Amino acid sequence: MKFIWFLLDSSFDDLRRNKARTFLTSLGILIGVLSVVLMLAFGYGLQGYIEKQFETLGKTLIMILPGQGFGGSGGAGLIGGVTFDEKDVNKVKKVTGVESVAPVFTKMVKAEANGKSQYSSLVASTPEIFSSGFDDVDYGRLFTKTDVNKKAKVAVIGSKIAEKLFGSNKNAIGKTIRIQNQRFTVIGTFPKKGGGALGSDIDTHLIIPYTAAFSFNPDKTFFAIYLKAKDDKIIGEVKADIKKTLLKRYKEDDFTVTEQAELLGTVNSIFAILNTVLIAIGSISLIVGGIGIMNIMYATVTDRTKEIGVRRAIGATKRDILLQFLSEALILSLLGGFLGLLIAVIIVILIQPLFPAVINAYSVVVGFGISSLIGIFFGVFPARRAAQLSPIEAIRYE
Amino acid sequence: MIKLVDITKEYEIGNEKTQILKKISLEIKDKEFIGILGSSGSGKSTLMHIVGLLDTPTGGKVIIEGKDTSSIKDNELSKLRNEYVGFVFQQFNLINKLTVFENICLPAIYSQKKLNYNIKEKALELMQKFSILDRKDYYPNKISGGQQQRVAIARALIMSPKLILADEPTGNLDTKTGDDILKLLEQLNKEFGVTVVIVTHEKDVAARTKRQIFIRDGEIAKKYL
Repeated sequence: MKFIWFLLDSSFDDLRRNKARTFLTSLGILIGVLSVVLMLAFGYGLQGYIEKQFETLGKTLIMILPGQGFGGSGGAGLIGGVTFDEKDVNKVKKVTGVESVAPVFTKMVKAEANGKSQYSSLVASTPEIFSSGFDDVDYGRLFTKTDVNKKAKVAVIGSKIAEKLFGSNKNAIGKTIRIQNQRFTVIGTFPKKGGGALGSDIDTHLIIPYTAAFSFNPDKTFFAIYLKAKDDKIIGEVKADIKKTLLKRYKEDDFTVTEQAELLGTVNSIFAILNTVLIAIGSISLIVGGIGIMNIMYATVTDRTKEIGVRRAIGATKRDILLQFLSEALILSLLGGFLGLLIAVIIVILIQPLFPAVINAYSVVVGFGISSLIGIFFGVFPARRAAQLSPIEAIRYE
Repeated sequence: MIKLVDITKEYEIGNEKTQILKKISLEIKDKEFIGILGSSGSGKSTLMHIVGLLDTPTGGKVIIEGKDTSSIKDNELSKLRNEYVGFVFQQFNLINKLTVFENICLPAIYSQKKLNYNIKEKALELMQKFSILDRKDYYPNKISGGQQQRVAIARALIMSPKLILADEPTGNLDTKTGDDILKLLEQLNKEFGVTVVIVTHEKDVAARTKRQIFIRDGEIAKKYL
């Protein structure tokens, strides 16, 4: 125990003596750990954010998507496949266990008013769409079933559109906007979600009753159909029934019936892959940092050859010398790891308002774990060289 | 007691073999005070390094307390260097980043046995005896050569070895300081019964010892040339 303390003490002493060199040597590890921990933080943050988004959709949400969806083996995702129409909507409405149906038509459009314009994501659907994450307005109201039945030309718009065209959400209520020369009355605005990378999405949304969108959508087709089951326990049966119904018309590969749990699983596995890739990138900087440590430790061993000889002369074993230099390499890399972690924490705190980054215990363990492994792995070669020096040759070294 | 039997040491430089020591046999009895005298390049330092187990002979045996050291493991050699031998070098060979006190205690850090005395107390006692107590927390490069050599002797004594090997201990010191160091070594031999071997090229240093061994061209000579 005493020996360990003495080792650590003398290692710290050496590192303290060469502050600039110590810092530069640790820098590689610092950057490596910083990038790994930051990447993990972004990965976890994004994953958490998306999970939360899904949670707001509710457990009973079922989605009918064209093609093989997210989970398909085709990989083409949402591209290709079929578009759905009102016939499909009416058919799935009749499936037992289905509480409500929201056909979804989406299009990028230019919303214009007062001589200004704003590109917006138009979503045409039924009021059920509001329960999938767009459920509150700060001014005005959401449209209702009556609006759908009356084919009312009303719109609920995001705050970015409102601010651009009318100056503020409050001012937008009751005003008229033009979408491809069709006039719509703004009846409600969504509260501002903020300038975050992901949060800005809802701010450029423009939601109208699907019955009022047929002029943009002459074929009366839908990109997707969202449904709500009456109970989350019967979701499996409802999904199977919907599939059976649609198979009468479409081929198996043309559409996907999915639920959020399934999508969540897909998203999670995508992030697992992403995290692995990010860690691999960080590992490269760590290896470079490790080589830096190895290099400096070789130089240190040469510098201190005589000291090694003296220590051997007064009774140090090869193991004692090995441990001395190994502990020095370990301290160097742990120092880098600690600083990297510290800077990562500061960065995460600073960007927290803009991006949902997270540093958890796992990141800390990974940060320290990796830096100690690097220290031991790259420190052991120079330390072995020090230990293998012949005592007499070392003591004669000038 | 230490016995050297037919010790040879060869170095190979390029294709040329140089014999540093040629079949040297000698005995060092307990509590002896010996001077090994020889000119530079005679092989006297190599001989001392072999006695102190810092270097290994090409041929022959070093027998320490009846134990043949030619076949023992490196770990065991470290243990013997630590417990049995104390080295004093011409260049002092103190570790500059450690204080005087830490330098003196250093061998105890590497001790493989449990010591039956308190190292710190013993170090303070030695510093007191050698009049370097007031330099306890100084770094070696901040004290005089004579003081440094006292620190080195204190370090050599901290493990209570049976043998002190001093390689040109006065070589880097002025006559007066050198004389003090020699007196100290004499005192160690006389009062504490430590075996002292001084390696030197100076006749008058060797003359202070009780038995002189002359080395010339790697062999024991009858007299000093």
